[in-house]
Amino acid sequence: MSTEKGGVPALKVCEVRFSYGKALAVDGVSFEVHPGEIFGLLGPNGAGKTTTISMISGLLPPASGQVLIFGQEASDGSGRSRARMGVVPQDIALYEELTALENLRFWGRLYGLAGEALEKSCRRALEQVGLSDRSSERLGKFSGGLKRRLNLAAGLVHAPDLLLMDEPTVGIDPQARLHILDVIKGEANAGRAVLYTSHYLEEAEQICDRLAIMDHGKVLAVGTVAELRRLVGEGPVLNLRGEIQQDRLSSLGARVDGVSMISSSDGVASFSARDAAACSALVRELFGSGIKLEDLRVQEPSLQSLFLKLTGRELRD
Amino acid sequence: MKSILTLTAKDLRRRLASPAGLILSLTIPLAMGGMMLLAFGRMTGTGQRDVPQLRLVVVDQDESPISGIITGATQNPEAAERMHIERAASREEGERLLRDQDFAALLIIPKGFGEALLGSQQVELELVKNPAQRIMPVAAQQITEVMALYLSGAARLLGEDGLKIKQLFEGEGWQDTPALTSLVTVMRDRITSVSDLLFPPLIEVGTGGSESDEGSPGGFNFISWMYPGMIVMGLMFTGLDQMKDLLREREAGTLRRQLAAPVSARHVLIGKVLSVALVAAIAQIILVVIGSLVFRVSWGDPLALAAASGLIVLAVTGFAALLYSLVRTERQGDAFGGILTMVMAMLGGAFVPLQVMPEWLKSVSQLTVNHWCNEALRSLTSGGGWSEMAPYLGVLAGMGVVSTAAGVLLLHRRHMRGAL
Repeated sequence: MSTEKGGVPALKVCEVRFSYGKALAVDGVSFEVHPGEIFGLLGPNGAGKTTTISMISGLLPPASGQVLIFGQEASDGSGRSRARMGVVPQDIALYEELTALENLRFWGRLYGLAGEALEKSCRRALEQVGLSDRSSERLGKFSGGLKRRLNLAAGLVHAPDLLLMDEPTVGIDPQARLHILDVIKGEANAGRAVLYTSHYLEEAEQICDRLAIMDHGKVLAVGTVAELRRLVGEGPVLNLRGEIQQDRLSSLGARVDGVSMISSSDGVASFSARDAAACSALVRELFGSGIKLEDLRVQEPSLQSLFLKLTGRELRD
Repeated sequence: MKSILTLTAKDLRRRLASPAGLILSLTIPLAMGGMMLLAFGRMTGTGQRDVPQLRLVVVDQDESPISGIITGATQNPEAAERMHIERAASREEGERLLRDQDFAALLIIPKGFGEALLGSQQVELELVKNPAQRIMPVAAQQITEVMALYLSGAARLLGEDGLKIKQLFEGEGWQDTPALTSLVTVMRDRITSVSDLLFPPLIEVGTGGSESDEGSPGGFNFISWMYPGMIVMGLMFTGLDQMKDLLREREAGTLRRQLAAPVSARHVLIGKVLSVALVAAIAQIILVVIGSLVFRVSWGDPLALAAASGLIVLAVTGFAALLYSLVRTERQGDAFGGILTMVMAMLGGAFVPLQVMPEWLKSVSQLTVNHWCNEALRSLTSGGGWSEMAPYLGVLAGMGVVSTAAGVLLLHRRHMRGAL
């Protein structure tokens, strides 16, 4: 999928800000999602992802900035832009007392479907997530994985043009995860725009066309997976664990040409190297420095490295 | 409007699929009504109470016409309803029946009882009370003592003529017409002479449950007074439990999902409030029907009852909406809701008549929703009509509209601040 897209973006977020009291939760966030694109929003807890999604879905009014859905103001009050959106929240936001079909009928009606069109849409959504044969069972009898699939179906029932998915695969088995990821890719292939948040970097790398990395309410980097990897550098990444004194490590890194420190804290440090020769030089310096190392690994540049470089912490922090 | 109906229908469907909460809320007034029934006896619409039947075993060793008066005491149908007499052939059989078949007492009429009585001689009846029972043996003793008193009086009234009657009973002298005429004349004169002393009685005992009071508007019926208070309390619990669903939906994430749909937040909140009102209305209908069928409460004019019920449901819904617009968590809702419901029930006169409250408490009572709900329903159960009920309905309508609107507006404000 190309980074540059023509036409009106499905979602355009321009410099939005929001505060909870005095705490600034989202600070001038901007990005675009185009039809047929899966756009990943990555960030640790408290980065501002959910607040951003809440503003996009109209649950929170931005203090400043603008959210446009297919060129229309999201908070214009008409509900037209929201009718084109499907929301799949992180919580399983369904009714345990109702059957799978009754749940979908309710969400379908809320999005204006009725009669035969509603029934067809419900059947299609159930088929998409592989729950056609369980349609008359109450949700209370479903496993966590099946509930997640129905949660996704409830967001798809009205065939939205823009899908907002907040960690849709959290806490489920690999098989159910693969099924959900297949459905998401299928939706994007059908021309729908998908905004997707996840804690699983591998998952994001696997399905997202573009990604934005957020922390402390700001977008730190936006681009395709390849573009973001290049931000860390083309060369390998060296990860260390041991009795690390930060000042010694910094001076050591400065002595080796073509090496820069990505992060260092609590006995763990990462360096990016320009090439294999720079990496070898760094390893020699480390062994000669007397630093007690417990673990040393050389990896290809990854999103995890970028994440560490940009935020100074792991994605799951 | 369509979205409101969709939201309301969803809640009703959920309630029907899982009615445990509603049943639990309705259990409270019904359990209290049941306890009252046990405590005060079965009070019917006329205020009469059912008393248990007195069961007596009698061993008639005398087999005389006089002892037959005692053993045949239950030939009268009304007496048979109150008392059951089982005859036993011997003392041993009587004692066995007393022990094994739950009789209150064993009465033994000794041989020669009738003859002695008609001869104005002192004679003794033996009563063996069942030690396993407390109240009914005492009742049996009192009834036996009263019966003994009447028989003694009658024997003294007969005087020496008692022996003549005995001869008549024994079949002697029935053919002696002049003697029979003379006996009847003497009896009539004696009865006439004492009747002036006995009638009319100087003291008359009035009973609240006499037939002349049946269904009269002024007649007090405890259940009809108490049950409306229980209904209103039950509706309060039902309304609060249903409104709590808003916080449950917030926790589950379904509320945010609804608010992200092309539906206004006001519609979502109105849909929730409407579903609370409908569930409360269903509860009201169930409680009224149970009141009629089980507790024999008379509700008067059905139209007036419908109007009162509608406004009570509105007021209860408004109270629930207002409370849940102020609390933040389910736990807070449970705590404040439970306490407020009980305090308002007490202040509103659910358990104690307003008349016995001090003046200042009467004024406080008028601030509660329960007060106006209770009084509206009580005006119906005590036979009142529209004119008696109108002031209560007016206040209920005002309270209901204001509290419902305030609840919805406050909840909407919370949503706009991102706190819902």
